Amino acid sequence: MVKRSEKARTMRKLIKAIWIFNWFNSCGFAELVPLVGSRWDMERFGMIIVGTPRHADVLFIAGYQTHKSIERAKRVYEQMAEPKVVIALGSCTMTGGMYWDSYNTIKKLDDYLPVTMYIPGCPPRPEAVFEACEKIFEHVKELE
Amino acid sequence: MAKKEIGLIDELKNKFKVKPKIQGERRIWLSIDSDRLIEICKWFKESGFVHLSSISVTDWLEKGDYELTYHLWSYDAKKLITIKTMVSRNKPTIESVTSIWAENAQIHERELHELFGVKFKGNKDLNPLFLENWQGPAPFRKDFDWRNYVRDKFYNKENERQRVYYD
Amino acid sequence: MIEEMELAPKESEYDLYFGPAHPGSGNFGVKLKVDGEIVVSARADPGYLHRGFEKLMEYRTPIQNAVLSDRLCVLEPLNWNLIHAEAVDELLGIEVPERAKYIRVIMAELSRIQSHIIWYGVFSKGTGFDTGFKMAFGYRDYILDLFELITGGRVYPAGYICPGGVRRDFPNNAKAKILKVLDKMNEMIKLEELENPAMNARAKNVGVLKLKDAISLGATGPVLRGSGMNTDVRKEEPYEVYDRLDFEVPIRKEGDAYARYWIGVEEMKQSIKIVKQALNELPGGEVIDSSLKKPKLSLKIPEGEVYVRNEIARGEAAIYMVSNGNINPYRVKVRGPDFLHMIPVLEYLLKGAQIADVPAVYWSLNICPADMDR
Repeated sequence: MVKRSEKARTMRKLIKAIWIFNWFNSCGFAELVPLVGSRWDMERFGMIIVGTPRHADVLFIAGYQTHKSIERAKRVYEQMAEPKVVIALGSCTMTGGMYWDSYNTIKKLDDYLPVTMYIPGCPPRPEAVFEACEKIFEHVKELE
Repeated sequence: MAKKEIGLIDELKNKFKVKPKIQGERRIWLSIDSDRLIEICKWFKESGFVHLSSISVTDWLEKGDYELTYHLWSYDAKKLITIKTMVSRNKPTIESVTSIWAENAQIHERELHELFGVKFKGNKDLNPLFLENWQGPAPFRKDFDWRNYVRDKFYNKENERQRVYYD
Repeated sequence: MIEEMELAPKESEYDLYFGPAHPGSGNFGVKLKVDGEIVVSARADPGYLHRGFEKLMEYRTPIQNAVLSDRLCVLEPLNWNLIHAEAVDELLGIEVPERAKYIRVIMAELSRIQSHIIWYGVFSKGTGFDTGFKMAFGYRDYILDLFELITGGRVYPAGYICPGGVRRDFPNNAKAKILKVLDKMNEMIKLEELENPAMNARAKNVGVLKLKDAISLGATGPVLRGSGMNTDVRKEEPYEVYDRLDFEVPIRKEGDAYARYWIGVEEMKQSIKIVKQALNELPGGEVIDSSLKKPKLSLKIPEGEVYVRNEIARGEAAIYMVSNGNINPYRVKVRGPDFLHMIPVLEYLLKGAQIADVPAVYWSLNICPADMDR
C-alpha cells in the first residue's frame, strides 16, 4: 500500500470528471462550444457545463478580456470552491495577441488570476483542449 | 437615372441652393452648414429617406474640425445620400436628430458622445455605453496615441497579483 | 391577519440581472426591473468585448487589416472579410477578375449557412430543446472542415478574401466535397422542419414587432423581413455577381419569434441554391488582380471616401472608409446590424414580457455581441 499525502488523497477523490463553468468569451464561443456538440462529444469523458460557480472545477478563460469582464471573472473565481484550476486559451492571454495596442484589453492574464496551464493557438483546436484536460489527470496521478 | 431621381436632385438644388456630388449609380454626397441641418433632414425624411444607416465623426487634426456625416437610405428610390457638416474640434456641439429618426439616432449619438466627446443638444440620454470608470480623454481622438499609452501602462508595469494572491 | 396582508403596500418590484455569466445569455448583460412575473423595463449593458476596432485599423495597412477584419464577428468571419475587401477595392479602383467574384460568393454563402445553423442551435437551447443544440453544432463541423480545406483555418480564415481577389485557388477535390456537404445540409434542414410542439408554444405570438416600429428602431435583415418588409441588399444594390444568380427572399407578416425562426430555415435553402448555381457557372482564369499579387508594404491608397453596404447573415452591414493619400486609412467606421438589434429593439420588445419569455425573445433576434461592441 502506497502512503500518499493528504493533498494527493483529496485531489484523487475530487478530480475524476471535470465540470466546466459557463464563461464563454467571444473567441471561446466558436471553439469551446463545438466540444459540447456531437462531433467532439465531451460528455463521454464526464465533462459537462454547469451554471453556477459553486459546482465547477475548472474556469476556462478563452480569448481576450477587457477591463469590464476581468472584474466579473475575478469574482467568479473567488466564488469557486477548492480545488480549482484556471486554464488560459489562446495567445491573447499570454502577450496581448492581436490586440496588443488596444487601450481596453488586458495583456497578461497571469497578472490577474493564477493560471495553471496555457494552450497556444489562435484559436486552438478542440484536440488541444482535450489534451490539456488529460494532462490534468496525469498530474493528479503523479502527486504524492 | 430615371425620371423620379432627376426630379429629386433638381428639387434639392432649387429649394436649398446646394450642389450635390454624384458618385456611381447610387451615391450622392452633400456638404452643408451646421445650422441648416434640421430643416434639410426633415425634408429628406418626408421625401422617403426613412432609414438612417449610421452617423460618423472624422477627426481632421490639422484643420481643427470634426466632420459629422449622416448616411440616409431610401427604400423606394434605392439611393444613399450622405450629409456632411463641420463643427469645431475644441467645443463640438450640434443639434440632435432624435426629433426626426427617434431611437435609431439616439443610440448612434450616445456612442459618438462617449468616443469623441461631441455634445448633442436635445438627446435625453448620453450616459457612457461601453466603458466603465474611464478617466482619460475621449479615446478615438487623433491626439491620443494608443501605442505610447499601452507601453507606459501595461508593458512596463509591476505584477498586480503579487499583492493579493499568495499560495 | 388577512386584512393586514391585503393592506400592505405592493413591494414586489425587484431588480434582476440577466448578465454575462448567466447560462441563458451570451456575452452581454440586460438589467431587468421585474414586478411579480412581468418585466416592467429593461436596460442593456454592453461593453464586455470593446476593443476599439475602428482605431486599431488606422495603425495598420489594408493588407494587414484584411487579417484583422475576420475577427469583427466570430460567428461569420468570411462575410466581414468580404465587405472590407470591397471597400478597399473601390478606393484603389481595381476590377476583380470573374473567377474571384464567383469564389467570393460561394464562400460568403457557405458562411451564411453556418451562421444560421448556430442560430437554430442557440434558439433551441434557449427554449429548452437541448438535443437540437448538440446536433446543430455537430452538423456545423462539416462546413468548418470545408473551410479548413480551402482557406487553411477552421474558424478564422486569415484574410482569405483580400483586396484584389482571393488569396489562392480552390484545390482539385473542392467541388466534389462541397456538393457532398450540401447534401448533409439538406438532412439538417429536414430535421429543423420537424416541428416541436413545445417550441411552437414558446415562440408563437412572443416578441411581436410591428412594421412601423421596426423601421423607426432601425432593424434590418431577418428582423425586418419577419415584420413584412420586402428588402434585401443583394437585390436592391447587387454586389459581386448576385445580379446574375436566381434566388428568392422569404418574408413573413406576423413579426413574432416564430416568424423570424422560419425565415432562418428558408434562407438556408436559398443559400444552398445559390452555391449550386455558382459552382456550375464557375469560369476559369486568374483569382487575383495582377497589381496586388505581390503587394508592397508601401502601397499608397489614393484620396477619397467610400460607403459600402452588404447583406450579412444578421442584417445590413456597412463600412465607411476615408483616405487622405497615406499607406494607412484615415478613418474606418464599421456599422453592424447588431448595434441596433441589441439595444433599442431588445429594450422595446422586453417591456411587458414574462420572465420565462426573455430567452425566447433574446435568441430569436440572432445577436452577436462582438459585432456590437467592436
